Amino acid sequence: MGVVKIARRTFLIGTVAVAGGVAFGYYQYRRPLPNPLLDSLGTGEAAITPYVKIDANGVTLITPRADKGQGAYSIQAYLLAEELDVDPLNVNLSVGVPSKAYYNSRVMDEAFPFAATDDSAVANTVRGAGDVVTRMMGMQMTGGSSTVPDGYEKLRHAGAVARETLKEAAAVKTGVRRSQLTTEDAHVILPDGTRLSYTELAPIAAQTEPVTDVVLREPGQWRYLGKEIQRTDIVGKSTGREKYGIDVSMDNMLFATVRANPGFGGDMRGYDASAAEAMRGVKKIVPVTSGVGVVADNTWRAFRAAEAIEIDWGPGPYPATSAEMWDVLDAHIDEAYQDHRNKNVGDVETPLARGQEAVEAEYRLPYLAHAPLEPMNATVLLEDDRIDIWTGTQIPRFIENHVATLTGLAHDNIHIHVQPMGGSFGHRLEDTYVLQAVEIAKAMKGTPIKMTWSREEDMTHDYPRPMALAKARGKVKPGAVEACDLDIVCQSIATSWFGRLKAAPPGPDQTISTGAWDQPYDIPNYRVTGYRAPEMVPVSSWRSVAASGNGFIHEGFLDELIHAAGADPLEERIRLCNHNVSRKVLEAVGDMCSWSGFSLGENRGRGVAFVISFGVPVAEVVDVTDTPEGIRIDRVYVACDVGRVLDPINLEAQVTGGVIFGLGHAMNCELTYEDYAPQQTNYHAYEAMRLYQAPEIEVRALENLDQIRGIGEPGVPPAAPALANAIFAATGKRIRELPLNKQIQFV
Amino acid sequence: MMLTRFLILIAFTLSATSAIAQEDAPIDPQEGLATWAKIFEIVSHPRCANCHVPEDNRPRWSGAHYGLEEGEWRYHGMNVNGGEDRFGTMTLACNACHQQENSDVPHGPPGAHVWMLAPVEMVWWQKSSGEICEQIKDPERNGGRNLEEVAEHIDHDHLVHWGWDPGPGREPAPYSRKEAVEFFRSWAAAGAPCPDVAEATQDYLEDQALPETAE
Amino acid sequence: MQLTVNGQNYNVDVEDDMPLLWVLRDELGITGPKYGCGIAMCGACTVHIDGQAMRSCSVPAGQVDGSEVTTIEGLGSPEALHAVQAAWIEEQVAQCGYCQSGQIMAAAAFLSINPEPTDSDIDQAMSANLCRCGTYPRIRAAVKNAAAKLQGV
Repeated sequence: MGVVKIARRTFLIGTVAVAGGVAFGYYQYRRPLPNPLLDSLGTGEAAITPYVKIDANGVTLITPRADKGQGAYSIQAYLLAEELDVDPLNVNLSVGVPSKAYYNSRVMDEAFPFAATDDSAVANTVRGAGDVVTRMMGMQMTGGSSTVPDGYEKLRHAGAVARETLKEAAAVKTGVRRSQLTTEDAHVILPDGTRLSYTELAPIAAQTEPVTDVVLREPGQWRYLGKEIQRTDIVGKSTGREKYGIDVSMDNMLFATVRANPGFGGDMRGYDASAAEAMRGVKKIVPVTSGVGVVADNTWRAFRAAEAIEIDWGPGPYPATSAEMWDVLDAHIDEAYQDHRNKNVGDVETPLARGQEAVEAEYRLPYLAHAPLEPMNATVLLEDDRIDIWTGTQIPRFIENHVATLTGLAHDNIHIHVQPMGGSFGHRLEDTYVLQAVEIAKAMKGTPIKMTWSREEDMTHDYPRPMALAKARGKVKPGAVEACDLDIVCQSIATSWFGRLKAAPPGPDQTISTGAWDQPYDIPNYRVTGYRAPEMVPVSSWRSVAASGNGFIHEGFLDELIHAAGADPLEERIRLCNHNVSRKVLEAVGDMCSWSGFSLGENRGRGVAFVISFGVPVAEVVDVTDTPEGIRIDRVYVACDVGRVLDPINLEAQVTGGVIFGLGHAMNCELTYEDYAPQQTNYHAYEAMRLYQAPEIEVRALENLDQIRGIGEPGVPPAAPALANAIFAATGKRIRELPLNKQIQFV
Repeated sequence: MMLTRFLILIAFTLSATSAIAQEDAPIDPQEGLATWAKIFEIVSHPRCANCHVPEDNRPRWSGAHYGLEEGEWRYHGMNVNGGEDRFGTMTLACNACHQQENSDVPHGPPGAHVWMLAPVEMVWWQKSSGEICEQIKDPERNGGRNLEEVAEHIDHDHLVHWGWDPGPGREPAPYSRKEAVEFFRSWAAAGAPCPDVAEATQDYLEDQALPETAE
Repeated sequence: MQLTVNGQNYNVDVEDDMPLLWVLRDELGITGPKYGCGIAMCGACTVHIDGQAMRSCSVPAGQVDGSEVTTIEGLGSPEALHAVQAAWIEEQVAQCGYCQSGQIMAAAAFLSINPEPTDSDIDQAMSANLCRCGTYPRIRAAVKNAAAKLQGV
């Protein structure tokens, strides 16, 4: 995103286009960002860096990356606490207010046309420019498995600055030199053992120039990071005390819901709410963009009333049925629609034209909903001079911009209170539901309105992962893969999603082929081309974005080629691998499952897949049994490398969860369209995986990468192809279309 | 040999039904069989058979609202299992989700005053007409009932009624509760003939060219 | 109608067919039980009614007149954890946590009737609770952990 006409050797940053046409200079980029904590400080309260606030309530750590279950709040707190010398379980935590200061320097990494394994100067320079773009845009966003890469240095540095500044304050207070002071558990310790709490030092610290010349501790000195730590939110989540956006409550609050046209972009021709208006508890009917909202004194009454409204929907601006949508994709695998060709090594045409038949295959992936368990919701209170919004979101500053346009209020008067999320998987990178709530609030000024989508509305008004079609051709020699040519067509996520957030970025959209073009294999003749389909159903990022679907295509087809060559699926991948760290991951998974010479037995099969996404190489092996009732997934082995493991318990949870997410959707999930709308309206038609189907999952994390990476998404992409490859091993049936239950049953 | 067996079969049928045969009603297997065929339509319908399941204790799902084609079925989702008590007590009770009335939300759980699987001896799932017929008459397997008590059970049991009032989106069992009770009584009056037995009778009679009814 | 929730008596005036879930959440402000699907397919709404686990999204208010309802808040608190909650914390089960109130209520009811469950029992008792984050392996471990605690092991 924000990159125009990238070629391997030259680059041009399209920041002018992205930043709204305003040119900027280097000095603007280097100018320190304002500290948002300073706005609301009282006397005697200290804000040291934008991440540490100390007042009468004690120490508050600001953790601006939003938490959707991936443990973002917790790891940010531990990163700060490790240097600050506080116990994160004993301090206040706050997501803070949205601010430019909290820009995410790493959230755009996957948008650049450089493979994560590309260590060239050009690649690194462009990546560095990512910091420029995100900083200048004040891009406070959570996503892309970037919380740890973005925060690893930044937050530890902030914690250290705050610690040293507090020591300096103690030095000022006591006359003891800072170098003779130590810190422990929110106290500065004098040489004679006297303990001064951070709280009591706050008034002095507030007047003290921050000490920025700090040296971070070595991992060998860590008390928390790298060890088994308790997540800061685990007690609240285990006792029903954690409050999500949907739980927000305040005096005089009313409850609302919305029904909008399931054919996105289609209009609402008319509606008859007479029955709804007469129903118990209904306060108001409010038309909103492409739909109608109902305000009532109870969410359920709002749901019921909304169902009772007769609505005449106009058609959507895209094909009405899935069958027609497949035709559109098919028509766009064509030179005329070529978007980019990021991999073109050797010459695929010559071996493909020669001698015996090529291996050819077509792969298909459906639209997929995010369907987090907490449906979309937002609570809005609009007054004449300000608006307050409480919602779970990953994009608070984009919401601010949209709300400014919608209400005419200045940014300073728009207050977004970010809430913990009951899941997202990318759904909360969108804000349609927030804007609907604002539209309703405009009709009910002075009254807090909690707008909740019904599950049916959430399922049918998602911005799904795009459907995709791939045509694959390849050639093998005995024992080796010789040529691989992938053509992949789908809609541009950047155009659709970023177009809604701010503006469709110009230039190619790597997400069409990421996960397929950027894998660390040296296949002698290797070509991956992305073709851009027109916008159909508006789409968005789904956990692991492009790699989720393209991983299935690439690792499924590579598996086909390897089998055609008569080679071993793991050994050939290792032989082809050109990246040391990735090779070690492949070897590790082989070691974990005793791959070599191991036979599972009759009706059993084992499949392997490898995908590097968000810079994290992950190899997965899946074992299945073909039972008379269907396929049973018995066991999964996962090896990955994140550079450095900061929270081993959460890493295991994210990888396991990612595997179950990937396997479950591969088994039985899809969105199919009739009349412009998905037919899958609730979880009965979108089951994914249930507990009894969950296999044992073994995870091993290596630490050979030269930089630290995040782990929220990378566990997902290899799961579906490893499963399909295992099914092939067990049954001889090669399935190239998801969900797999179109062709095979699962127990 | 065949004649002996034929006579034994007739004797068996007569003895099993004589206890409830109307005093003056002629034994008319044909009409009785035709009525039984209607009862079989009811009991083999998904709204009944889905919970009259064998000792795997797993309810079944079938019908278009589950996205299934005609004749297709699947196990109840979510690994739900009635257990030996047929009510799920030791794991997840049926009434955790299935309440006393049908949900009126599309795809919500159906309900009745008591929701549970039929006792395991009353298995109808994928059983033949003859097998179900024998079971329904057998006090060892029908809850210790005579046929009039079975008829009353159909007339009064709330969960049985549910078959004809299954809530939005589900196809009701054929006919109606009232008709079902009438069919049952009329079938009983006809001697409660069961198809497999009568079929054998019929075949033999055809083979032997003997009169169709016993003197 | 009158109901007791977590030991406290309430009088509510709602239509008989309002689901208990929305009585709890919107009328009484008790937000531990969650809305996930509204059709009893996810279990996020699970509460105990007269000791039995039930999905409050599908229990009409009229059915609970005079009943005792326990929600996750009443099962235990951070200061006084129920054994199941303690096990959930030890095993660090929760990721987003939205389903976990329902998971814990289901597990607590299950273990109160089946204190030494087999793996197959656990698969049958807990598979109707949906987790989109994929915490299932830790749920299994936490149920076993809780069973051991409840047995005094």
